[in-house]
Amino acid sequence: MISVADLLTDERLPSNYFASDVYVRGTLELGLLENRRGDRLLAIPEVMLKSIYAGLTSETGQAAALVLRNCGRWWGKNFYARFCEELSDYQKKAVADLPLAEFMLSLQECWRSHGWGLLHLNMDYYNHGFLVVEIQHSPFTIHAIQANKPSGALETGILQSFFSQLTGRDLNCMQTSCESLGADRNRFVLGLENRLQPAAAWVEAGQPHDAIMTQLISQ
Amino acid sequence: MNPTLEALFNEPEKRYLQPDELNVLSQYVSSVPERIQVYRQLRDSEVQTLQPVADQLQQRFSQVPEAILKRSIQHGLLVLRYAAMAMLIDDPSFLTKRLQPWLPEMVAAFDTLVVDEALHQLLAQRLSSTLTAQQFALLSPALVVAQQLLERAPSTNLAREAPLVGIL
Repeated sequence: MISVADLLTDERLPSNYFASDVYVRGTLELGLLENRRGDRLLAIPEVMLKSIYAGLTSETGQAAALVLRNCGRWWGKNFYARFCEELSDYQKKAVADLPLAEFMLSLQECWRSHGWGLLHLNMDYYNHGFLVVEIQHSPFTIHAIQANKPSGALETGILQSFFSQLTGRDLNCMQTSCESLGADRNRFVLGLENRLQPAAAWVEAGQPHDAIMTQLISQ
Repeated sequence: MNPTLEALFNEPEKRYLQPDELNVLSQYVSSVPERIQVYRQLRDSEVQTLQPVADQLQQRFSQVPEAILKRSIQHGLLVLRYAAMAMLIDDPSFLTKRLQPWLPEMVAAFDTLVVDEALHQLLAQRLSSTLTAQQFALLSPALVVAQQLLERAPSTNLAREAPLVGIL
């Protein structure tokens, strides 16, 4: 028989570490906004993001998206390390021992509590070697970097870096739909570089996400 | 804390609280000793409350893998702890704030909905027999919210046992 007492031997029951009302706090008398571990958080005004995009475009022209993507990769590398550290400290087990569902739910909740939108991992193309990350209400894609082009360069970088470390493979990431271009959500496709590369031309030609995926999996 | 109560403290710069508003506060304060009493009882009888429920669950779902049943029982323990806290602060929406969408998504990802719903029902029955009617009435709104959370379990395509490393 299952012993309930045996299920209570861990320090805590598995729960939602990133619940916003406990995760975001601060030492506000010192002007510090912090997460529940005491790491500093910043509230960035939307207009600041807009001015970074505008400043970069004015200084570097078409390279702005590339610069942002590199920033995103740098951010993703650090974010992955911190996210895993927080999660494993809380769960009292190595991140590699967590089931995928639990890990992804934590990432979703983390994303949401930081105000970065609603993230969802779509595994419809998992058997074909592609993961699709969908993000709604992203603050990063509200402002265009280049006219008529997806504007999620920062997120493309962070996701590429995050999932490369998670899977232990050198993944590429491509944004295939963008809220700034009228799509219902941002979609980011992750896959091995050589398999994903052809999609660049289809994205450039403005093909819809579904058409891009159909072509990718029929390669 | 109950959002109506919390709202009382929002704007002292605007005006003093009116008699009906202070009444709301008094009513809550006078219910606190009873709430603490129920909370203590739930805390001190956690295992005794859940063990018979777990036994009944295991009999009813003998074909279900033990790992699933254990996860379900952990959901039950978790929900009861949150429900007890929600009762203490008189705020059933506490469960939604902390466990939505986490709990419904976990339920869906590990495919425990049928077992979780049965457990919830057995747990409510058990509590209604171990608590007095008045005590159960204090806890009941939070249990209703917990039931609603379970009903929100989405369909998911996350492979539940998929390992993290090597997903591509």
